[in-house]
Order: sequence, then structure tokens, then C-alpha cells
Amino acid sequence: MNWMIFSPEICCLATALVFLFLSMAPVDSRRDYIVAIALTGVAVCASLAGIHAQGELFHGTYRIDLFSQVFKSMLLMGLFLVVVISSGLNGIERRYHPEFYMLLTICTLALMMLVSAVHILTLYVALELSSYSLYILVFLRKGRDQGTSSGMKFFLIGASASATMLFGLALLYGATNAAYFRVLIEVIPGVIHQPEVILGLALALCGFFFKMAVFPFHFWAPDVYEGAAHQVAAYISTASKVAVIAVLLRMAALTGGASTHLVHFLAILAIISMTVGNLTAIAQKDLKRLLAFSSIAHAGYVLVGILCISPQGNTSAIFYALTVLLLKFTCFLVVVQVAFDGENIEIDRLAGLHRRSPIMALALMTALFGLAGIPPTIGFTGKLLIFTAAMEKGYFALVLIAMFNVVISLYYYLLVVRAAYLLEPAEGEGALAPMPGAGILAGTLVAAIVAIGIYPTPILELIRAAAMALG
Amino acid sequence: MTIYSTLFYLLAVLILASTAIAVTRRNMVHAVIYLVISFFGSALLFYLFGAPLLAALEVIIYAGAIMILFLFIVMMLRMEGLEDRLFPLKQWLPAVGVCFVYGMVLVMLIVSDTTDAPPMPAAAAAPATFGQFLFQRHWLAIEIVSMLLLIALVGVLRLGRDAGGKTRPESEVAQ
Repeated sequence: MNWMIFSPEICCLATALVFLFLSMAPVDSRRDYIVAIALTGVAVCASLAGIHAQGELFHGTYRIDLFSQVFKSMLLMGLFLVVVISSGLNGIERRYHPEFYMLLTICTLALMMLVSAVHILTLYVALELSSYSLYILVFLRKGRDQGTSSGMKFFLIGASASATMLFGLALLYGATNAAYFRVLIEVIPGVIHQPEVILGLALALCGFFFKMAVFPFHFWAPDVYEGAAHQVAAYISTASKVAVIAVLLRMAALTGGASTHLVHFLAILAIISMTVGNLTAIAQKDLKRLLAFSSIAHAGYVLVGILCISPQGNTSAIFYALTVLLLKFTCFLVVVQVAFDGENIEIDRLAGLHRRSPIMALALMTALFGLAGIPPTIGFTGKLLIFTAAMEKGYFALVLIAMFNVVISLYYYLLVVRAAYLLEPAEGEGALAPMPGAGILAGTLVAAIVAIGIYPTPILELIRAAAMALG
Repeated sequence: MTIYSTLFYLLAVLILASTAIAVTRRNMVHAVIYLVISFFGSALLFYLFGAPLLAALEVIIYAGAIMILFLFIVMMLRMEGLEDRLFPLKQWLPAVGVCFVYGMVLVMLIVSDTTDAPPMPAAAAAPATFGQFLFQRHWLAIEIVSMLLLIALVGVLRLGRDAGGKTRPESEVAQ
């Protein structure tokens, strides 16, 4: 067995074990932070070094190819970025910091396994591992009520979604008698007309819709974003979304594009998700709730790319995963800096941010413009790729509805930008004192968002090759 | 109708009926007992299908361990009989919607033509063979489950420590 190609996962597991032991040592949050940055940095390097690794492990239940490695690199970068903004970590009591890092790395490990799993049993247990570590991360929020009630809601909806998914997988297994994806991909297109196959697939996707916060499994998102610590919310809205996009692509590829029913099912969910997300976001006062509803809307846009089930559609969805990762993380970087005390933040509290910290205001504006899809940001390129992929398949109505939604979303993104740039700061609000290095990080992110938006070709080439490896 | 199918339908009715009663009971202890009966029915069903190991596991783990835990919790929290309606009316609509979807699934499965689909071969395996297969071919999944148990332990410690009323505020711990 070739252990070298498994090295990113081993790095992650080792990090988790280190924090398991640190949780028994005396409390020292500075030490935890430095160890976490160093170890996750190593893991990012390992994943980037092994991006062209290929092979199969564990009796063919685990496939490593360019597709999985690109996603693993994105996941580990997401983890690294979230760890970087955890230097304050005031939303979680100090004695739980090692547990926070441990659960975060175990969750990333589970998500990496989710991306590589090609057997339904491995897929399911990896999904459960990532979900359970996220439930506990939400519970860790300081101040019992907020974390507990939203954690409970998260847990209950997650449990019912995973029961639905298990039922779907059982139907699928019963109909095809196959559990390996490489067998399923040959069998399913032939039996797709049978109701249990199509229902099994649709129900099996529900477990992932829950993680992605697609309608009708989106009810947890606003409460969890509000109730969880900022860093945890940042992780949920970036890394966990990225992994789910990968699995949805893999599951959709199983049908080989042979089923119009599944495409219609996904299209309806996409339309409802983006409409519900955008319309509800308008009424939000809390910045994190607003970001949650915008996540629901973005899940809808990604579904448009996924339901194309074509190389272009797959490429656009992978690129959009990177887009969501960069843009949502930048938003949460600003949230963490403005609300450094770990409390929730109303949009009004952003007033006069451009005076208090110009670089944070610039980062927020770029990220929100990116989410709204304004050129020359990466958000525009991502949406353009998705919409052209859908137009090539002839889904004109779907693209039109998505465009309407983009216009609606512009309204509430601009409200936030207006608060940051046009309103005067409240009395007694001095200059913002961000954590050391936050300015550099924000500047780098803004540069990346604009640079990839203008010149996406090198990354797009890599992603195109990854989409080819999916087939 | 063979004796096997007669037994199957008898057990199916038993499971359905006991689960339905368990869901509608106000008295939590009664509900748990009916659920135990339902689990026994499922265990017999597994036995009928030629999976004695699964049947034994069902009785030992579900009817035994988990239900006893439920009984403990019910008795410790003294939740004897809920006075008000179990669900508020506004929760009925989504519940009916979900039931409708599953009912549709059931009807479609029953009316679908399965004559040309080959039946799944029965895989009767001795417990030792099953264990070897699981631990050799799927040990990654086993390891993932072991990690799941580890983090569940961490979560329970965190929740239990806070609920025990022994929590000290941050400032005290730091001193």
C-alpha cells in the first residue's frame, strides 16, 4: 500500500492527535494557536505537494485522483485560514481551545475522506464523522443558551437528513446490488427508469443537501451561523460547503446524465433555494444571519452547475467551490475583526468601518461585490462559468431565474457596503485594532479575489483537468 | 402462500402496530416498552431472512442497551405523561408532507414492474466470515467509526460537565 499518497490525511490525523493530548495539558491558548498554525500549514504543503498523486487505497474504497486532491487542497486551505483567524477565539472558553482545534482537524479529515470515498459505506460514515464534529463545535460557543439551542436544532435536522439519506442508499443498493461507485456508474444508467433507483438517488442526495443548506434542509443555517462562534461559522460556510460540492458532483456523475427526472428535481431545489435565500436575506439585521441566507442562495447557484452533468458544468461547480471559499472567508475575516469580543454583530455596527479600518472595509466590499457577481472579481467569473454551462445544455429559464436572483441579492449586499462606507461611526468608536497580520491577510485575499477574477486561466486549466478525472 | 411469507406478514403487522402505538403513547415508559416489542419483531425478521447474527445484535444492542438507556433517562427526568398535545398544530403540515412523500415512494415501489430485475442473492455468512470481511475490506470505515466514538466522548464530556452544575467561570479556571 502506497502511504505517500495518503499523506495529507495522515498530517490531519496527527494534528488531531496532538490536540487530543494538548487538551489534557494545562490551558495555554497561545501555545495551541501556534501549534495549530504550524501543523495545519504542514498539512496544506503536503496536499499541494501531492496534488498530482493517483491511486486506490483500502481495497478500492478510497480513490485518490486529481479531482479529490484539488478538493483536499481547498479543504486544507480553508482549515488553515480558519485557524489563522482563531488567534482571539473569544467565542469559545479558553479551556476548550484544544478541543476546538481537534474537532476542526477531525472534521477536515472526515471531509477529505468524503471527497475520496468511492464506496457508499465509507461515504456515509465519513459524512457522519464530519457532521458530529460540527455539532459539537457549535455546542462549544461560550454562553450556554446560544450554542446549545442552535446546536440542538443542527443536530435534529442533521439526524433526520442522515436517516433520509440512509434510506435512499438502501434503496439504491437494493436496486443495483452494488456499493462501489465504479460499479454503480456502470449499472445505474441502465436501470435509471426504475422508480427505486431514481428515488434512492434523490433521497441519498438529501444528506448532502442538509450540509449544503439547500431547501428544504436549510432551516438550521441562520440559527447555527448566529449561535456558533464566528470561526466555526466561517468553517461551516467555507470548508464544509466545498466538500459537499465534490460529493454532489460524484453522485450526479453516477447517472451519466441519463435521467431528466433527477435534473428537474435538482432544478426545482436550486430555484427555491436561491429565491428563498435571497428574499429572506433582505430582512436580516444580524450580519451572520445575512451571510447564512446568502449561503443558501449560493447553494442554489452551485446546484445549477451540478445539474448540468457535463464537463463544463463540473468545471464551473469546482471553480465556484473555490469562489465560495475565498469570498465567504473574507467576509468572516471582517466579522471576526469587527466583533473581536466574540459577540454577534448587527449590520449597523459596521457603520464607519472605512474610517476605523480601511483595509477591512475594502476586504468586505470586495468580498460582497464578489458574492453579488460584479466584475472584475472571482465571483463574476464563477457565475459566468455556471451560467454558460447551463446555457450550453439549454436551460434558459433556469439561467433567467438565477439572473433575477443575482439582481435581488445585489440589494442586500449593497446595504452592508453602505453601512461600512457611507454611515458615520457611532460615538466613541475608535480605530479598529485588528489582530496582528489581519491586514496582510485581508490584502492578500483581496488581491487573490481580483487577480483570479481577471486572469483565471491557470487555475481553470487545473480545475478542468480535475473535472475530467471525475468521469 | 408459504409458511415463510405468512410469518413475514405477521411480523410486519406486529412491527407496524407496536411502532404506531409507541409513537402515540403519552406515557413515555409505555412507549419505550412498545418500541422494545418492535425491535424484537425486527430481530425475528432478520432471523427469518437468514441473518441470525444481525438478529442477535438487534436484540442485544437496540432492545437491550439503547432501550434501557432510554428508560433510565425517562425515569431520571420524571417525564411521566405529557399533558398537552404532543405536537403543535403548525408542525402537522410538514409532518403530513413528509408522510405523503414516503407514501408516494411506497406506492411507486409496489406498482413498479420488478419481473425483469434479478433478485438479490442471499448472502448467508457465518459471524466469523462476516467479521473477517468487515475488518479486512472495510477497516477504513471501522476506523472512521472509532473516531466518531472518540469525538462523541469529547462532546458528551463538554455537555455533561456544564450540565452538572460544577462549572466554574473562566476567570476562576485561569487563576
